[in-house]
Amino acid sequence: MPRVFITGLGLVTSIGNDTATVVRNLRDLRHGFESYLPFQKPEIPVKVTGTIKGFTTDSPDQEDWTFPARYKIKRELLRTMAPHGLFAHCAMLQAVEDAQLADADISNPQTGLYAASGGSPYLTAYHHERLHKLGVMRCSPLGIVASIVGTLNFNLVAGFKIQGSSCGFSSACASSAHAIGFAFDDISLGRQHRMFVVGGEDGNLDAILPFAGMRTLSLQTDPNLASRPFDAGRDGFVGTGGGAVLVLESEEEVARRGVKPYAEVLGWGQASDGYNVAISHPEGSGSAAAMSNALRAARVSPAEVNYVNAHATSTLIGDISEAKALRTVFQESLPRVAVSSTKALTGHGLSLAGAMESAFCALALRDGFIPGCAHLANVAPECQALNLPRATENRQASIVMKNSSGFGGANVALLFKQIG
Amino acid sequence: MPDAVSAHSAAPKPTPTPPKAFAPEDEAALREALKRCSPSTFEAAVQYRRTGNPEHVPAVVIGVIERFVEPDLRTKLKDADDDLRLIEDLGIDSLTMMEIVILVEDVLQMSINNDELRNLRTVGDVKTFIDCKIRGLPLPKPTKFIPIEHVAAVMPVQPPFLFLNEASVSSTAANGKYKISGQEFFLQGHFKDNPVMPASIMLEALGQLAVLYLLEGAPTEPGKVVSAQMIFFTGCEGVRAHRVCKPGDILTLSIKPKRMKMPLATFEGSIRVGQEKAVIAEEITLTYGFVEAANAPVAINGATHAEATPEQTASLPSPTPLRAALNA
Repeated sequence: MPRVFITGLGLVTSIGNDTATVVRNLRDLRHGFESYLPFQKPEIPVKVTGTIKGFTTDSPDQEDWTFPARYKIKRELLRTMAPHGLFAHCAMLQAVEDAQLADADISNPQTGLYAASGGSPYLTAYHHERLHKLGVMRCSPLGIVASIVGTLNFNLVAGFKIQGSSCGFSSACASSAHAIGFAFDDISLGRQHRMFVVGGEDGNLDAILPFAGMRTLSLQTDPNLASRPFDAGRDGFVGTGGGAVLVLESEEEVARRGVKPYAEVLGWGQASDGYNVAISHPEGSGSAAAMSNALRAARVSPAEVNYVNAHATSTLIGDISEAKALRTVFQESLPRVAVSSTKALTGHGLSLAGAMESAFCALALRDGFIPGCAHLANVAPECQALNLPRATENRQASIVMKNSSGFGGANVALLFKQIG
Repeated sequence: MPDAVSAHSAAPKPTPTPPKAFAPEDEAALREALKRCSPSTFEAAVQYRRTGNPEHVPAVVIGVIERFVEPDLRTKLKDADDDLRLIEDLGIDSLTMMEIVILVEDVLQMSINNDELRNLRTVGDVKTFIDCKIRGLPLPKPTKFIPIEHVAAVMPVQPPFLFLNEASVSSTAANGKYKISGQEFFLQGHFKDNPVMPASIMLEALGQLAVLYLLEGAPTEPGKVVSAQMIFFTGCEGVRAHRVCKPGDILTLSIKPKRMKMPLATFEGSIRVGQEKAVIAEEITLTYGFVEAANAPVAINGATHAEATPEQTASLPSPTPLRAALNA
């Protein structure tokens, strides 16, 4: 079975719009939260988000948007993008450059693209309002492809002239982790030589506030306290958006192109809770099964794992559920596995989370550090068995696990390995 | 959703004049709608909405098209004639065409059907179309694109003496292309060791395009069609050759009718190679005649003559060997 490597990354996140800035903020545990202007109204109890800096996308007219001058995007491409389409497009450009891919490496039958996003509730609402107000035939002909779930893959596959496998994933907050898993399969089964895996979310009012009704958002007004995974004082997640791209390539392609990968993808596993549409299983059964499946598939023992980048979003139920799952899987190795959730810094990127945090794992493996648990003051009693480093550890992990869980009780675990 | 229903039924229908007075809030909406168009586009739109004068419409339409064309192609639109093609020359795809239409509909307060859109291929088509809609005139016959096999099928002239590879015909003009292959039989002798397309043959090619116009684009009397057997050359005036044309050159031919009065049709014609003038003919005159539509041999397949009735189709003569070969 061909081995699979991560050879390129692109990031537009609340903690940085390039890998160097992101690494700095991961190491220094500097978060990307701000009081988000559209939330500063008395009737909105949620105040903080992980904001994307350097971009403005708060207009339904794409030509009003602004983005860093280093990205040149034609109107023809821009006109069908959702805000997260723009973030991801810029992340794609970074990843292409980072992996040193020529046009021919991108557009060929052996190179595919998997993407995950929740669509653009913002643009959907805008176009539906016009539909009701102005009549069916006055709707923008491009409203659909800019807004529905799938907009991310439509735009990127067409925009980058992808000819291989392409597909969108929608398992909510597990989506882009699923996408990485299936991209790994495509390469290891020999179906593709190279896969782009993309996660994206608008991270604006329309994307985040619907979660308020579910009472899963933090109501903290202090950006320094809002996202506190595993902390006793946590009160919900902080939303964020952005775009993250990973370039996955076969061993043969890595050798042919002579590039140095960030990390190897060892394998993955998934399992479902079979429990509730929105609440995680109280014992974390699906999450534990996903981790065990990943370890078995990758022929890795729990003792070999040095770091788990947890799904933990800072919600009351979810964090405990994952803590229990970790205990089930790692047993006596648990104290030796460092666990942290970088959502303490970025916020929860929903469909974006899996890809964004896998990119963080790749950076940690390349640069030899383990991100600490930001904002963790009093560990929740149910999580006290976990090894939760408060500060970033300057040591090289060999094997890293990335967990993601989504609505319906979908759980994914991915395993990455240091190069060399 | 009562709102949606009423909004839909109140959608503006095509009317010869703007339906209601132009209020300040309309001007504000217009300014917003045209915010990415040139100031002169906005001015023309305001004038049209105030006065209903169709003379302002072309400036609005061109201004809206310009806004949707990639900046590096906009210069083309500035110096363009009406033959500039939306897809091939301006890179406007069908989705962009929809964006243009929706903005034009909004700005000119009119409705355009999808079917009507399909036939708009050139800037001139769009201008004529909008103008007819505004004036409440019947829409012109759309530009017809005729590929090589249909050219051969409809023309009385046949290879090796047919000098059109493809053509497009509207009610006001015809355009065609011919690539000098180098295999033309007369090039063996014209000239010795120096193949040059004879100017007389280039004039012949323009004449052939005029024949195609008469057969496919020219207005006819009800129940009658132009007979392919009754078209002949009568004369030409002001013919000048400007450029030597050789194998590999692609001739871009165009003709426009100047006068049509049975049995004479006079055209102006020109041939270009790229941007270079090759031949100008101030006048080419053909004679032609009508036959009853039912009796006319319709020697073309249904793809070009979508309007052919089942009876006509049934009376099709068996295909000529040439057509059979082309269809093989």
